Amino acid sequence: MLFRAPGRSRGRLTRWLPGVVVLCALPLGQLAAQSVAPGGCALLLSGRVQDHESRGALAGATVVVLETQQATQTEPDGHYHLDLCPGVYHVQVSFVGFTPETVEVRVSGAVLRDFQLHPDAIALKGAVVEGQHMAAPTPQATGNLSGQALQQTRGQALGEALQKISGVTAIQTGPSIFKPMIHGLHSNRVTILNNGVRQEGQQWGQEHGPEIDPFIASQLTVVKGAASVRYGSDAIGGVVLVQPKALRDSAGTGAELNLVGMSNNGLGAASGTVEGNVRQLPALSWRAQGTVKRAGTMRAPGYYLRNSGFEEYDFSAAVGWRKANYGLEVFYSQFNTRLGILPAAHAESPSDLYAAIARRRPLETSGFSYAINRAYQQISHDLLKVTGFVRTGTAGKLTATLGQQTDYRDEYDLYSARNADRAARNRPALSYSNRTTTGELLWEHRPLGGFTGSVGVAGTYQFNRYADGTRGFIPFYNNTIAGAFAIERWTRNRWQLEAGIRADYRTLETRRGTRDTLGVYYVDRREFTYLTPAASLGAIFDATPHLTLNLTTSLTQRAPAANERFSDGVHNAQYELGYDLVPGNGALGPETAYHTGLTASWHDNPRLNGELTLYQTTIDGYIHQRPILPPVINIRGTLVSWQYQRTNAVLRGLDLGATYRLAPQWQVGGKASIVRGRDTQEDEWLFFMPADRAELSVRYAVPERPAARLTGRYVQLGSYAVARQTRVPADYAAKDYALPPAGYVLLGLEAGATVHWGRLPLTISLAGSNLLNQRYRDYLNRYRYFADEMGRNVTLRVQVPFELSRRR
Amino acid sequence: MNTLLFRLFLLALLASTTLLSACKDDKEDPTPDEDNEQITTLIYTLTPAGGGTPVTVQYRDLDGDGGTAPTIGTLTLAPNTTYTGTLELKDETKTPAENTTAEIQEKAEEHLFFYEPSGTNLTVTRTDKDKNNLEIGLTTRAVTGAANATGTTGTLKITLRHQPGSKNGTFTPGSTDVEVNFPTVVR
Repeated sequence: MLFRAPGRSRGRLTRWLPGVVVLCALPLGQLAAQSVAPGGCALLLSGRVQDHESRGALAGATVVVLETQQATQTEPDGHYHLDLCPGVYHVQVSFVGFTPETVEVRVSGAVLRDFQLHPDAIALKGAVVEGQHMAAPTPQATGNLSGQALQQTRGQALGEALQKISGVTAIQTGPSIFKPMIHGLHSNRVTILNNGVRQEGQQWGQEHGPEIDPFIASQLTVVKGAASVRYGSDAIGGVVLVQPKALRDSAGTGAELNLVGMSNNGLGAASGTVEGNVRQLPALSWRAQGTVKRAGTMRAPGYYLRNSGFEEYDFSAAVGWRKANYGLEVFYSQFNTRLGILPAAHAESPSDLYAAIARRRPLETSGFSYAINRAYQQISHDLLKVTGFVRTGTAGKLTATLGQQTDYRDEYDLYSARNADRAARNRPALSYSNRTTTGELLWEHRPLGGFTGSVGVAGTYQFNRYADGTRGFIPFYNNTIAGAFAIERWTRNRWQLEAGIRADYRTLETRRGTRDTLGVYYVDRREFTYLTPAASLGAIFDATPHLTLNLTTSLTQRAPAANERFSDGVHNAQYELGYDLVPGNGALGPETAYHTGLTASWHDNPRLNGELTLYQTTIDGYIHQRPILPPVINIRGTLVSWQYQRTNAVLRGLDLGATYRLAPQWQVGGKASIVRGRDTQEDEWLFFMPADRAELSVRYAVPERPAARLTGRYVQLGSYAVARQTRVPADYAAKDYALPPAGYVLLGLEAGATVHWGRLPLTISLAGSNLLNQRYRDYLNRYRYFADEMGRNVTLRVQVPFELSRRR
Repeated sequence: MNTLLFRLFLLALLASTTLLSACKDDKEDPTPDEDNEQITTLIYTLTPAGGGTPVTVQYRDLDGDGGTAPTIGTLTLAPNTTYTGTLELKDETKTPAENTTAEIQEKAEEHLFFYEPSGTNLTVTRTDKDKNNLEIGLTTRAVTGAANATGTTGTLKITLRHQPGSKNGTFTPGSTDVEVNFPTVVR
C-alpha cells in the first residue's frame, strides 16, 4: 500500500485544481447570477451523489453552489435538492475519501444533475475532473445511453445500440446494418447529429445504415418525436445525437482502451482514445481516437450465414482552444466499412428471390470465415467540423458551426461482369457520392427576467452524384437549404414554457439520365423550391421534486427528398419509382406533421422510478411506398414493384420504462413500447411498423467491501419479448413476400466488475444473448425472408482507462 | 471590442474556406451507364428442318427497366414439325449494340439456358455443349405435336442461369439473368 501514501497528498493537490478553475470562471458566473431578479427563485437543482466505482449512494456528501454559497447535504439515498434562480453556477460536491468535483451547471429550469465521485485512491490514478455542459431539458421525450448502459452496447452498430432506448427500434439488414427508427418513423424523417453536425449520408436505401462509429460517443441521446424547430424540417420522427465527451480541461494526458470480442461471429473490436490538455497552454486540448472492427460469418442456430462478415476502420481527431469567453474546436472523423451481403438476399431476378424466400434456410451456407466476397458494399464517410463560440458579458453567446462531409457508397453485385473488359475494370454496379456542407450560427441571449432563448440561422448545400458509367438509381442533384429559427423559454417557479418557430427555404435541382422509348439517352433536368414552416410549443411542470410532466406540440412541414421523387430502377430484384415519375402525378409537395407528446417522469425516488410517454403524430400527405399494379416486367421477369405515393397517416403509441429497487442490492427493470400506424385515407394499417415489445430485467449488485480487488460487481438477467406484428395492411400476403414472423422471447445474462489490476481499474463484462439459441426472425429485418437471426452469442467487453501524465 | 471583432472575423474566414471548397464539378450532368451490363433484346429464331420460312419471336425493352413496358412477341409454330432454334441476345442501349450472345458463348461453362413450354405441344432440347461437355442452349431443336385447341394459347419460358464456378447441368446453382415468357401456340 506504499503508493497510497504519496497519493493522498497528491489527492489534496488535485483538490486545489477545480478551485482554481472556479476562481477563473467566477466573474462570469456571478454576472449571470446577478443578472436575474434576486430572491424568490424556485428552480430546482436536484440529483444524486454516487460512488463512481460501486454506484452506491453517498449519504451526507456536501453540495455547495459556489456563487451563492448555498449548501446542502445529501440524504441517506444520496439525493440533494437546491432552489436557484436561472443562471450559470458552479456546483462543488465533496465527500470524505473522494475527490471533490466541481461542475458548471446552467439553470434555466429544473435541472437534474447526478454526480459520481471518484474515491481518492482512484483519483491518484488519474481520474479527470471535468466541467460538463448541461443541455437544458427539452419538453420532448428523450432517452439516452451513457456510462455503463453505453458500455453494455460497445461493439454494436449505432442503430443496434440505440434499440436499448424504449421507443427506438431499427430497420435491419443482416448483422451489421441498422437504421434507427423512432416511434415507427425512420430514414428521411430521423435526423442524426454526429458531434453537432447533421449526418448527411445516403438515407434512401433500407440497407443503408448510418455511417458513424459509436465508439466516438460518450453519450447517445434520442429525442423522440418532432424536434424540427431546432434541428431542421426533416426531424419529424426525432433526432439522434451522437455526442463525444467534451475535450479534456485539466492538464495531463489520458487514454482509454475498449476491447470487444463476440463468440458468434468472431467479432473483434478495439477502440482507443488518447486525449490531453497542455500544461503550459491550459486552453489547448486535443483528442485522437481510432476503431478497428472485424467480424466473420454469423451463425444462426444450425448454420452459418454465408458472406455475412464485415470490417470497419474509423478514426477521429479533435483540437480545441477554449477560454472562458471564446473557444474554437476542429474535429475530423472518418468512417470506412466493407459489408458482405448474404447471397440469398442479393437476388437480381424475382424467381431467384421467391426461391430464396421459400427455403427454410439459405441454399448456400458456409463454414466460418473472415473473408468478404461479392456481393458487398464498400462505404466511407468523412466529416470535418469547425466550431467556435464567443461569449460576451452583455449580449450572450454566439456559436458558429461548419461541417463538410462526404459519403461514398459502392455496391458490388454477386457476379462480376460477363464482358471481359468490363470484368477487368471491376467497377461497382452502384457507385454514389454525396457531399454536404452545413453551417449554423446560433445566438443564445443572456437570461432576461425569466426568459432564455436562442436565435439561429442554418444552411446546407448538398451535391449528390453517381460515378460515370454506373447505373443511376437516384439522380444527380443539388440541394440548398437556408433556415432561420428562434426558440424562447420562460421559466417561473415550477413551470417552464418553450415556444419555437422556424422557416426553411429549400431548392432542389435534379439531373436524371434516362432513355426514351427508342433507347436514346437524354438528361431530364428539373428544379423546385419550397418554403416550409415549423412551430412548436412545449411545457415542463415539476409537479413535485420527484414528478415532472412534459407536454409538447408541434407542426412541421417536410419537403420531399430526391429519392422520394426521382428514384427509378431496380435494386435487389425490386423496382422502385419516385412520385414525380408516376404518370399523371405531377410534382410532389411537402408533407405536414402534427405531433403531440406527453411524458410523465417519476424520478429520484429511492425505490420506484420511471417514465411514461404517450404520443400522436398525424401526417397529412404522408409520403410512402406502395405496390405498383400491374408490376413492372424486365428481362429477368416480373419484379416486385413499388412507387412513392401520398396518403394521410396517423401514428400513436406509448413508451414505458421503470425500475424498482426491491432491496438495496436488487433492482428490477422493465420497458415496453407500442406503436400503432394507420393509413387514414385507405383506412388500413401501415407497412413495417414495429411490433409490440417489452423487456424485463433483474439486477443484483454485489455489496462492496473496502479495499477489494473487485468492485462494482453485478449480475443481470434479462428477457426481451417481441410480439408478432398482426396490424398489417389487408390482403398482406399479396403485398409482402412473407407474412410477419412469429413473436419471440430471448434470454440474456450479463455479469461484470471493475478489476483493480495494479493501478488500472479494468471494467470487464461478459454478456450472453439469445442464450437458448432460439431460431427466430424479426419483422423489421430484411434478412427475415431468407434466414434466421443470430444464434447464441457471448460478448466480452474490457474497458481500461490510463493516465499518461507524468507523476511528480 | 476589437478582439471580439477579430474573433468574429476569424470565424467568418473559417466559414468561407469550408464553403468555397464545395463548388467544383457540381454542374456536371450524368453520363450513360456504359458499365452497366444489361440485356435489352432476346430473339429466338426457329427454322423448319425441312426448309421453309424461319419463325422468330422477340423480347425487346430499349428504355431499360420501368418506363415503357417491353414488347413481347407471340410464337406461332406449325404442328408436327421439327425446327432448329438459335438464340440471340443483345444490349441495344450501347452504340454499337453489344453482342451478348458472343459473350455467353465465350463463357459457355458459366451459362445454361432452360426452355419450358406449357399449355402447348412443344418439346425443346439443347443441342450445343461447353468445354466440360455440359449443355448450353444457345442452339436447340424444337419439335411440335398436335395443334392447340381453338382459342387456347400456351407459353414458352426461356431462362438463362448464370452459374460461374458452379454449373453442373442443373437449374439450382447461380442466378437468373434472363426469364422471358413468350405466348406460344401451335396451329
